[in-house]
Amino acid sequence: MGEAFTIPADWYDGTNAVRHSGQLAWDGRGTFMLDAPTDRQSFAASDLRFGETRPGKIVYRRESVPDFRLILPQDVPPGLAAQLPPKKDYGAWVDRLGLGKAAAIFAMVSAMAVALFLTAPDWLGPRIPASWERNIGDAMIGDFGGRICHTPAGDAALAKLLARVDPSEEKVRAGIANMSMVNAVALPGGQVLLFDGLVQQAESAEELAGVLAHEVGHVRERHVMTALLRQFGLSILLAGADSGVTNGVFGLASMGYSREAEREADEYARARMAEGDISPLGAAGFFERMSEEHGDNADTPALAGWLASHPSSGERAEAYRDAADDDARYTPVLTPEEFAALKSMCEEDPDVEAFDFF
Amino acid sequence: MHGSQNMDGADSAFVFEGNWKDFAKIAFPNLLLTIVTLGIYRFWATARERRYLWSRTRFVDEHLEWAGTGMELFLGFLMVFVLFGIPYAFLTFVAQALVARGYEALGVGLTFVALTAIFYLLGVARFRGLRYRLSRTRWRGIRGGSDDGGFLFGLSYMWKTIVGWIPLGLLIPWSMTSLWNERWNKMSFGPFPFQSNAEAGGVFVRFLLFYLAPFVLFVGGMIMAGMGMLAGYGIGGEDGMAVGGVIGILGLLLFFYLGLGLIAVAFYAKFYREVVGATRWRDLTFSFEASTLDWVKLLVVDALLVVFTFGIGLIFLSYRHWKFFMTHLEAGGEILLDELTQSETKTARHGEGLLDAFDMGAI
Repeated sequence: MGEAFTIPADWYDGTNAVRHSGQLAWDGRGTFMLDAPTDRQSFAASDLRFGETRPGKIVYRRESVPDFRLILPQDVPPGLAAQLPPKKDYGAWVDRLGLGKAAAIFAMVSAMAVALFLTAPDWLGPRIPASWERNIGDAMIGDFGGRICHTPAGDAALAKLLARVDPSEEKVRAGIANMSMVNAVALPGGQVLLFDGLVQQAESAEELAGVLAHEVGHVRERHVMTALLRQFGLSILLAGADSGVTNGVFGLASMGYSREAEREADEYARARMAEGDISPLGAAGFFERMSEEHGDNADTPALAGWLASHPSSGERAEAYRDAADDDARYTPVLTPEEFAALKSMCEEDPDVEAFDFF
Repeated sequence: MHGSQNMDGADSAFVFEGNWKDFAKIAFPNLLLTIVTLGIYRFWATARERRYLWSRTRFVDEHLEWAGTGMELFLGFLMVFVLFGIPYAFLTFVAQALVARGYEALGVGLTFVALTAIFYLLGVARFRGLRYRLSRTRWRGIRGGSDDGGFLFGLSYMWKTIVGWIPLGLLIPWSMTSLWNERWNKMSFGPFPFQSNAEAGGVFVRFLLFYLAPFVLFVGGMIMAGMGMLAGYGIGGEDGMAVGGVIGILGLLLFFYLGLGLIAVAFYAKFYREVVGATRWRDLTFSFEASTLDWVKLLVVDALLVVFTFGIGLIFLSYRHWKFFMTHLEAGGEILLDELTQSETKTARHGEGLLDAFDMGAI
């Protein structure tokens, strides 16, 4: 069953540091024998493993004796080399495929993984059940630390406003947060918050209706979950770089929507306002004021949903103004008393928490 | 071949026989595979690099061997991700949720707990990283290791580091040398433990440079800025004075940062000479001969290499550092080969995941 060989060899038995210098013999029947004045052993060929290469030498190991090392010259006779385990270099997969082929396959798989990762929020977001989103939202924000303003008259006015822009059975949860920023956000779990700063600067209830309808649009179109998934993905990519305490709230507020999402939310708002006979001129006026005050900087990194959305304020004002139907007879969305109740809601609520981080 | 190895001869006990061209044949395919696998290959890349560096390093009459694998490094990484990464993410999530609900103090407290845990794990990681490297290093088939898990060392690391900083940082040399001793005294190679008794006194004078230097540099810098203004005035009156002053101040800032960097290097050079020199194993003594100038050369060439290759030179830094380390490391004394039997320490099945997670480099 094949030729027998004998070549010089060095080995360490793994029990002490003494080097054994002698000969390796192959009996032609599957057994290696080592013979030196200091040590003598034999083992099956199947026990031998490739270790590493050194200049002019190859090191082998034994599976059953972990620290055994056999050092052979690199130029063993071909007949014997065939009995020795093959060299390994890059790792099992790459060795089997070859470097070029393995690199090409890895590159393809990676490209697909990246594509999947980047597009996942868009198709996965809308498929996550609303009840899950609600649970996530509750876990993240809870009751917003008691910073949501309540008065009986204000709550009633807000409910009326919401009913006009959100016709579905199960309403989103809307509130006015005791924060002085001119802003509004749609939070995970179908919760929409208008900031008191925005309410204070509103000149008509129609403006608030427009903002509220837009945020409801984000909720109904499932943009919140999409943005949440996108942010989660980013934070995985940045591997824990994000750790500040304030990041929670600010992170949510700065959670941006795509340009397309903003457009969808605007369209939703205009459709609901048309159905509810609410004049879009209020919202148009709001955008015109914003455009004058903040300039038409398309990528203002302001906090958030409403203001930092990408279409510029001027463009959006125009879109709302165009949506106005000259023949329509719009009915006021709130009475002056109701509008006043919204405006004074935060001031008159004795229990509301002030908004400060520390 | 029974007997002993005597190292008091002329040649250095540690000899590095690698060359950068051979290393490039390892490093470039590693870079390619790391990129196409979105970084996952880096564990196997590390193992290949180390196999090369160890196998080209001769200690007396036999080469070292790196017996670690990429798979175990990968498993170590996964373990850290599951055991520490996920709880940490959860903790910060809870902290943020608490702040959103108005419990700011509790949220901040929880974040503090998370940061303290990281501080502790940093110490544990340094211990286990060294233990892992010793346990995967073979010389004549013999390996090193430790039976200590490093969990107590993590506590020492915390309190000694804090105590080191309290008196205006004056005890930092003490905390560094004492942590070095504590770590190495728990390590062994074959049947024999390492012994280290480095003393802070030896590096303390160098450390004082940190305190003196800012004053010296500041006064020197002021003089330079003043001279710059005078020179500027001589050239172009009032405006020239302003320009000269600005250039002088820029010079001062540069001088200040380079000066502080130089002091840091001078301190580390002295620190390594002291601690390596105070480390023994059985009848062997070690020494590390790199001078401040050697370190400066290493770091300057590192920087040039990286800058002029647009970052690709980064893949050669591990080679350069290992070569630097082995070139300057010396050992003297005698080893009795018969009594150098196999280490009885336990070996973990996974790699230095913690150390890797905190991105603490090669040596």
